[in-house]
Amino acid sequence: METYDRLPIEPGLQRKHSVSIRRWFRSGDPWIWLSATAVGVSIVAVVGLITLIAWKGLAHFWPADVHTIEYHDEWDEYVLVGEIAQRESISRDLYQEFNPSDTELPPGSVRRWMMKTGNRKVNAPDFRWIDVHLIESKIQDPNMVVFERSEWGNAYGTIVELRESGQTIAVDDLWSELKRRVQRASSLRNTSEKLQKRSIDQINYQLERLRLQQRKRELRGNFETADLNTKQSELIQEYELHEQSLREIDEKLQRDQVVIRIANGSESIIELRDIEHLWRPNSMSFLSKFGHYVSTIWNFLTQDSREANTEGGIFPALFGTILMVILMSVLVTPFGVIAAVYLREYARQGTLVRLIRIAVNNLAGVPSIVYGVFGLGFFVYLIGGTIDDLFFEAAKPAPTFGTPGLIWASLTLALLTVPVVIVSTEEGLTRIPSALREGSLALGATKAETLFKVVMPMASPAMLTGVILAIARAAGEVAPLMLVGVVKLAPSLPIDGNFPFLHLDRKFMHLGFHIYDVGFQSPNVDAVRPLVFATALLLILIIIVLNLTAILLRNRLEARYREALQ
Amino acid sequence: MSEKYQLPNLSKSRTVVNSATRSIVRVGGIAVIGAIVLIMAYLFWVVIPMLLPASVSLDHQFDLSTEGVLHVSSDDSFEVISLINADGSVVCHDAEDMSILDEIEVSPSHFKTVKPLYPLANTFVALTELDTLVFFQIVHRVRFLNEIRTIENQVDVLFDDSFIDVGSINDFDAFRSDEKLRVVLLNIDGSIDLHEYLNVDDAYELEEPKSTTIDAWSPSPRNVEIMIGPLGRWLFEIDVTNGDYRLINVASTRRTSVEQVGSFRLENSSFQFAEPVLGRYSFLVADDQGRVDHWILGPIGANQGLRMVRTFDYPKPIKKIILEHRRKGFLAVDHSGRGFIGHTTSAAKKRTVVSLEKVPRLIAFSPRADRLIAIHDDSIDIFRVNNKHPETSWTTLWGKVDYEGYKESAFTWQSSSADVEFEPKFSLMPLLFGSIKAAFYAMLVATPIAILGAIYTAMFMSPQMRKLIKPGIEIMAALPTVILGFIAGLWLAPLIEKHLTAIMLLLLIPPLGVLLFAYLTTLLPSRIRASLDGWFGALTVPLLVLLGWLTLANNEWFASLIFQGHGDAKTWLYEVLGVDYDQRNALIIGIAMGLAVIPIIFSIAEDAIYGVPQHLVHGSLALGATRWQTLVRVVLLTASPGIFSAIMIGMGRAVGETMIVLMATGNTPIMDFNLFQGMRTFAANIAVEMPESEVGSTHFRILFLTAFVLFLITFLLNTVAEVVRQRLRARYGNL
Repeated sequence: METYDRLPIEPGLQRKHSVSIRRWFRSGDPWIWLSATAVGVSIVAVVGLITLIAWKGLAHFWPADVHTIEYHDEWDEYVLVGEIAQRESISRDLYQEFNPSDTELPPGSVRRWMMKTGNRKVNAPDFRWIDVHLIESKIQDPNMVVFERSEWGNAYGTIVELRESGQTIAVDDLWSELKRRVQRASSLRNTSEKLQKRSIDQINYQLERLRLQQRKRELRGNFETADLNTKQSELIQEYELHEQSLREIDEKLQRDQVVIRIANGSESIIELRDIEHLWRPNSMSFLSKFGHYVSTIWNFLTQDSREANTEGGIFPALFGTILMVILMSVLVTPFGVIAAVYLREYARQGTLVRLIRIAVNNLAGVPSIVYGVFGLGFFVYLIGGTIDDLFFEAAKPAPTFGTPGLIWASLTLALLTVPVVIVSTEEGLTRIPSALREGSLALGATKAETLFKVVMPMASPAMLTGVILAIARAAGEVAPLMLVGVVKLAPSLPIDGNFPFLHLDRKFMHLGFHIYDVGFQSPNVDAVRPLVFATALLLILIIIVLNLTAILLRNRLEARYREALQ
Repeated sequence: MSEKYQLPNLSKSRTVVNSATRSIVRVGGIAVIGAIVLIMAYLFWVVIPMLLPASVSLDHQFDLSTEGVLHVSSDDSFEVISLINADGSVVCHDAEDMSILDEIEVSPSHFKTVKPLYPLANTFVALTELDTLVFFQIVHRVRFLNEIRTIENQVDVLFDDSFIDVGSINDFDAFRSDEKLRVVLLNIDGSIDLHEYLNVDDAYELEEPKSTTIDAWSPSPRNVEIMIGPLGRWLFEIDVTNGDYRLINVASTRRTSVEQVGSFRLENSSFQFAEPVLGRYSFLVADDQGRVDHWILGPIGANQGLRMVRTFDYPKPIKKIILEHRRKGFLAVDHSGRGFIGHTTSAAKKRTVVSLEKVPRLIAFSPRADRLIAIHDDSIDIFRVNNKHPETSWTTLWGKVDYEGYKESAFTWQSSSADVEFEPKFSLMPLLFGSIKAAFYAMLVATPIAILGAIYTAMFMSPQMRKLIKPGIEIMAALPTVILGFIAGLWLAPLIEKHLTAIMLLLLIPPLGVLLFAYLTTLLPSRIRASLDGWFGALTVPLLVLLGWLTLANNEWFASLIFQGHGDAKTWLYEVLGVDYDQRNALIIGIAMGLAVIPIIFSIAEDAIYGVPQHLVHGSLALGATRWQTLVRVVLLTASPGIFSAIMIGMGRAVGETMIVLMATGNTPIMDFNLFQGMRTFAANIAVEMPESEVGSTHFRILFLTAFVLFLITFLLNTVAEVVRQRLRARYGNL
């Protein structure tokens, strides 16, 4: 087949060392260069995009230096403490348009920095632009501490004193003492969270089930509730016990405070219980910065999000994405493969099958939002609503399955990706020489045996490719999910310790939707942008890895047929 | 592969497995394919109810003397019918059997007239025989007593049971907003008193009002009706004998002004009556020939005024028009007692006829417009109305419509507002326009790059590089659009806004630079050139990066060079061309969505070009054609159907793409093809509005309709592409 790899270089141009422009244009070579430019543009776009995301996403976790800057502008002089979040330069004209009074401009364009000054509660706004030429002095105080708080973002300041129950503690090494106490607070907080998440949530869940049981009985006309009431009071007793221990932990948590001096010279008190992490970037070595970097990335991947998704980790979104994709592939694989086997091995090849094939191909091109609309109307309202009517009468009027949820999202995406699996599997089946099938049949195998022992094993890489491509498509799809089950903030993961463990009716979080929601619905865009880049990077990595796997599998598959044919 | 082969001595289990597999595969396969058909059928099934005409059927007929009934109303769920009687009482009847539930005295003196207290529901103002006004509200409270549902009926006389003395008047009307009550009184001499009560609370007596008087207008004040208009800011005065009207702006009580004086009169017929539509932004005006005109309030020149926008023709003169409480729907009753259900916006008319036998003395819609209560002298008839989606018609969806408050007919998409009286505007044209605009600019970016790239990759690229490029393009195709949209909206849009001049120059400088570089390579010895050939694509990359960076970095220099005296490109656009620059505009969409579409077009076009049979190429080259000539005259010509189908499929993708458009435009449904303005597409519109849409409502079904339209568009584009492609495959086979 491949008798040539590419067209040979123009013979007319080969002989000479130099050509006249006219001759060169007549040869058509400039147009070839232009078409090469198109490829170049595509490469630049893709590589540039991925590099941009990787760079912005990864840079976010590096512990940036904290600068103490003495700054003066037209009105005032003040001290700023913070990280440089962004650098840019603007034209002198533009600058002078807004600052007509500023006459002592250095030559060239005006450089500006966006400073992340944190301390949101006391020192708004937490991001501000400064003009570099107005900086009086800039130092890096080695004692400057960055506190990542569980609310209100970062705080920057130097430690003034440590307090225990309101009393100042006299220690020499404030820093290590502070770290020790923060450690204590965070382990206490962990215990409290565990208690809340595991035990108390479980009791609430059981109480809710009891209520539903009672309601179910009432619907059947049975008003006997004595046994349920005893169970309920037992649970409430247990609940109160947990409440008690929670309160005790809470009291312990309130013990310590740290007083810091912030940029404007005033003192500010931070409760140790509110501190998630703390570090002193200005006195960290490269190695310890790297260690901090790795642990921040780890936290990003494994922790819950805070502050309406604008801080903390993305674990629930990552978890939701993966779970939904797994469910979807469990649904899509058998159906896609069966449909392909039917079309290729069982259906009579004729006009109808050709039409169906065109329809299947077309479905791959139908906009995903259309699937979302279909999923919402058909799965959620029609099927889900019917399930509620039949089996979840007791929970009404609150819908159980008649509302967007995990199962409906998975089903919708399965429908969206089923053409991908069908097309890919069919392609694999087509490539298997019919001689192999005929040989198997001639040896006395039944059609089913031929299918399972000869055809399917040979087509399996093609199926796998199809499934992987389907997964890659599903992982990146957001539009339909917005209608059938993804939410900004899910109160609990779809898998937990309560029976039946996997809750198909729950709403879930998703990386793609996280990007849309945090990037476009948050009030403080400057603060969240790096976080969105990091999330985007994670999503891109997942999808690239899946696609590369599919491509590698396909290459292996091609090699395999070559063997089979020889 | 025939299945009609017979195997001897097949064990039972093998037979069972064989036939079981066959049935499972058959059932499964057909089910999956059935599911695909289901999508289309289901989308259409949801749309169907919008196409059905309304229907009305007689539900109950009660023989009952209705002497003295002045007004009728019912509760939201249509369980109680309240009759307001001239003797100053309200009687609540059970809607099922008309048995009397409660009889409540509102006023000791008889009522002369009762009007609804605009714009509230179930709240009335009555003029008594003693020339006093009384305000009252009929309340139906649902209570659960021992888990049994009961309805408690009650009449609250507002403002601490106060009666306002108004003296002898011809007509009156009242308006109530949160803290304000406005009462207008038409005096015997034709002057109008406007009283404004402030700090109004239902439970407390009214404070002293601020009052003003408007001079008389009509010579015969007895024939004048007055009516407060939208938001209490307007006052209509209508002469019921000839249809002359006056519109007075009463937004401020201190300074009222006459806005318009006009007439509803027609040349060949005589005016009968005018009825305000819900919200009172418009009137339905009936004549004596069966014609009903729709007049809307909107800007006329510098003032506001009424203008006629549409006409409903009926076979016989219309005697009565009644209105729905929550939509712009109405029922017109002609003199023989036939009723026609209509809707002002959609101009739906004559679709449904209900026979009322004769013109009823009183008739009203239930609050949800699912019942009609017709009151004759000796009976009460209750009709069941099924009219769920009157707002839509072919014209409202696709044509220009005159909306209330608009200067002229327009294509508008504005599906909801907080206001109940709002007229929903469901024109799909702005959305279709937006979808086409977005797809157009995306294709403008994607088509040349993708097809030129495909040509180079298929024809000239070295095989080693091709092995890298193909998977690279596949990965590009897999990039989630949410990421492209995010980058476009939050990174690219501000960047382009800042470097607009340079971005425009990027169309020019890099290609010229590459050409210059290419010419320089011809100076190299041919051996080196030959080895470079096939790597041009890779060679251009550093060049493009360098040129691109240089162009962007010198944005200001270019801007001052080109747009002397205008600052930058943005200011120039505004000052010279009068174009507003939206930060998130069609240019951003073109680039971002172009990037999403490039790999799709590229893959298909590359396949088509690569698949052109070799002997054609060799033949052409052997005849002395240059390789570019071979490409243009032989290869592209043969592969053109494949390239066409690549473009079709790319377009299908661009039309339906959601996330990029959602994130990188302002999503304003405007109809402006300007490159520097945004748009709203079908897909983005669904994503924005679907979650808030009420299930089963007209809005919900229209969103399904847009999904269906989107489905049809893409299905059509893809089918054309697929058929062309299959033909091409057959042709390559023959060549």
